Amino acid sequence: MIALFVTFFSAVILLFAGLNKKESAFSLFAVVSLFVSAALSFACANQMVSFGMLESWVPANMMSFGKEQHLFAALLAFITGFVILMFRENENLGTDQLGLMMFSLCGAYMMVSYEHLVMLFLGIEVLSIPLFVLAGANKQNLASNEASLKYFLMGAFSTGIFLLGTAFIYGGTGSLELEMMGIKPSFMHAMKGMPIPVLINAGIILMSVGLLFKVAAAPFHFWAPDVYEGSPNRTTVFMATIVKVAAFVAFYRLLNTFGGIKDSWASWLTVLGGMTILWGNLAALGQKSVKRTLAFSSIAHAGYLVMFLLIADGTNTWILWFYGFSYAIASVLVFSIANQAYQQTGDFSFDAFNGIAKKCPIVAVALVIGVLSMAGIPISAGFNAKFYLFSFAWQHTPWLVGIGLLGSAISVGYYFKFFKHAFLKESNNEMQFVDRGLLISLALIIVALGAMPWAILNLVF
Amino acid sequence: MEVIIIPIIASLVVIAMGKRIPMWLSALFSLLPILLVGKYFQQMGVEGGWKTIFDQPWISDNIRFTVGFDGLTGILLILTNALVPVIILGGIRNDENRVKITALTLFMQGALNGVFMAQDGLMFYIFWELALIPIYFITLTMSGVDAFKITLRFFLYTFIGSLAMLASLIYLFLHTANYSFAFESLRAVELSHTESLFVGGGILLAFLVKIPVLPFHSWQADTYTNTPAAGTMLLSGIMLKMGLYGLLRWFLPLAPESIEFYQPWVIGLSVAGVLYGALIAIRQKDMKRLVAFSSLSHVALIAAGIFTLTDAGLEGSVLQMFVHGINAVGLFLVIEIIERSTGTRILGELGGLAKNNRLFMVFFMLIALGTVAVPFTNGFPGELLLLKSVYTYNHNLALMAGLTIIFCAVYIFRMVQFSMFGEGTGSVAALKWNEILAFLILIVGVIGIGFMPQLIIDIVHNSIVQIGQWVSEARGVMS
Repeated sequence: MIALFVTFFSAVILLFAGLNKKESAFSLFAVVSLFVSAALSFACANQMVSFGMLESWVPANMMSFGKEQHLFAALLAFITGFVILMFRENENLGTDQLGLMMFSLCGAYMMVSYEHLVMLFLGIEVLSIPLFVLAGANKQNLASNEASLKYFLMGAFSTGIFLLGTAFIYGGTGSLELEMMGIKPSFMHAMKGMPIPVLINAGIILMSVGLLFKVAAAPFHFWAPDVYEGSPNRTTVFMATIVKVAAFVAFYRLLNTFGGIKDSWASWLTVLGGMTILWGNLAALGQKSVKRTLAFSSIAHAGYLVMFLLIADGTNTWILWFYGFSYAIASVLVFSIANQAYQQTGDFSFDAFNGIAKKCPIVAVALVIGVLSMAGIPISAGFNAKFYLFSFAWQHTPWLVGIGLLGSAISVGYYFKFFKHAFLKESNNEMQFVDRGLLISLALIIVALGAMPWAILNLVF
Repeated sequence: MEVIIIPIIASLVVIAMGKRIPMWLSALFSLLPILLVGKYFQQMGVEGGWKTIFDQPWISDNIRFTVGFDGLTGILLILTNALVPVIILGGIRNDENRVKITALTLFMQGALNGVFMAQDGLMFYIFWELALIPIYFITLTMSGVDAFKITLRFFLYTFIGSLAMLASLIYLFLHTANYSFAFESLRAVELSHTESLFVGGGILLAFLVKIPVLPFHSWQADTYTNTPAAGTMLLSGIMLKMGLYGLLRWFLPLAPESIEFYQPWVIGLSVAGVLYGALIAIRQKDMKRLVAFSSLSHVALIAAGIFTLTDAGLEGSVLQMFVHGINAVGLFLVIEIIERSTGTRILGELGGLAKNNRLFMVFFMLIALGTVAVPFTNGFPGELLLLKSVYTYNHNLALMAGLTIIFCAVYIFRMVQFSMFGEGTGSVAALKWNEILAFLILIVGVIGIGFMPQLIIDIVHNSIVQIGQWVSEARGVMS
């Protein structure tokens, strides 16, 4: 809860104080406030904070921050802080962008901690609306405008479907609170022979479709490559990390509510998960643009996280946290190297990476660590995350794990393109990378999470 | 524990010092671990099973960082930590990539030590993969149009094999009594026949790709030929031994129920590989390619020997693993020195190199004799044991595999003849102290083991007996 306040008020301050001013003057403030939010919510992780209100004279719990939610909030704030820090120098567009990004983050907090579907809906909207603006922030660029429009249309569309699902659920269960919602269908399920009302099943499916749009899982991922490619780089990273993690936490909490009737939704979700993994990885093989490749890679990662939804039982949330953290930190690292390469060459194909190894070996090492982590190769955070996920999922969905392993093998094909260009190709361009210390420290975080995951997880959870 | 950490720290030191690091210092770094290995031998001895040296929770409470030591581990540690100094002394050219390759080689040394000492299934897997990363980046320094294709094929082959092994290990892990990856708990899992076929198949695939046995070998020749010498030496000298070691240490004890099914396949394919590699090697013009195929042929024989499950086969395989490491590194070192001096390694363009450099000639000849398995060189006792074991399994197969002795003499002596004798223009520069030192280490291995092969067999005997016991117990239950 404290993170929500700190972030929200800093965003307001940024919006007013920074009106018509250059962004770089305020980025440090934003970064500090985000890190403070992260640290505070990490520090009070053991407290329980709830926010309730009266719903037709009955007290209803709207959102509550327990340990899980605090840790997820800390993760989101920490990653956003790094996003702003890594991209502070370029695309100096105006301070309002920082404010918008932090408002969007507030939406993410709400999605993480909701206890009531209205709060989830509000969270999704608060998250999305600033992003529609941010995606189109590069006004001169046609692709950016297209991205904004596409994201807006898809967002509106998915929200509509999601709301319809909410209405159905309300009709089927008589409540919108997570605590109450799941009881009725589980009870019916427990009484053998009683069919689950169509309204509930339809509601779950429709709400899932809405959320699958947000996480960009197949077959609702079509918007993602175009939007990721067109948006300014910083927005792309934000969408690929924060939005995805927050939406998955929301998704997991929703489905966990209906854990009692898992049979009714696990089957089609398994199929979608497998489809997403294969589709994302296969489509990424053919891409020429770095951003599109990373977009498809993020779709593939959404597929792996769908695997988590199938095994989530409320006790193993740390897997989602660890996976989200390792995925997000590697994404930020790779994206920011790609961004700097792009700034210098003006080229967003893989050729921008040509000859990095010779000209800037330190950055090349950071790139290697980031990419290996995304591909899930030891010793890196990504490997441990995938290992935890796969070893837990094996008993429930062995076939999906098989597809996941296959996907990992396929993914080497496109992740190693980075190495091909960085190590094998030559280039005559001068290359100068800034923030080398930051890049290396991100890489070190990845290696540390890979080398001693248990020590760190014990520290956190 | 220390033998894993020290080389990795050393590699960081090398990176930090960059171009200023002299070659002798990095060689000294790489020599440190072998002292520790000697200490282990002294403290732990080779009797009394696979003893744990260090144990610490790692990936979770039950997935631990556990390193153990016994004779089998000890032999491979000696091999690794003796060959890496040789590679650093002789195998790395003094060009722009020197620092990078030195650092990666040292890193590799640590990872390989981890592979050979791991007592925890997941730790084994992690180090197995970790050893792949430095060698991949060493191969990436190769030049040529197909570089990316070759390196990616190499990586994908081994990576897919590794993933299959990971799946098998996770399956075993989930069936252990206490959810543990420890070797003993994994071994205690009882599998049904069908289960063991899948689990064993997954583990086997990883090792067969790495060895490589026949249908999985197509990554080998191109990778060997185009990689810088240090990479080729690491690959042939030590990396292949990871696969063979894995067969002995992990495949046989973990999935003994499936051996019955896979035995004829693997032996058949191996013997086919022995002949195939030898026949192709005879036709090669490029010396590196020639040795690559010869390596394919020799290593396939070791795999066949392991799968006969006889004492002679198992012990001979360990002996031959050690010997093949020395000989392969020796041959690639010879080729590297020839290429450095003359700028080519194509047999047709070479000749008469023996005239001006007698010392080099002597070294080359000794290593060649060892490879051909002349009595009183290191190749002979191992090959004899392996052929004997294949003979007890099936006479006809042994007859075919035995042809390799003739073929091997043909291609190795053909290589010696075309490069060293006859008329030619090129000449090999006088050997430097580091090259002489590297050769001396290898020659001690060639001659020493030739006269006293029993030394190595004594060290591994206990471990081999133990593995043989587990296998025969499991097969007893089956039948």
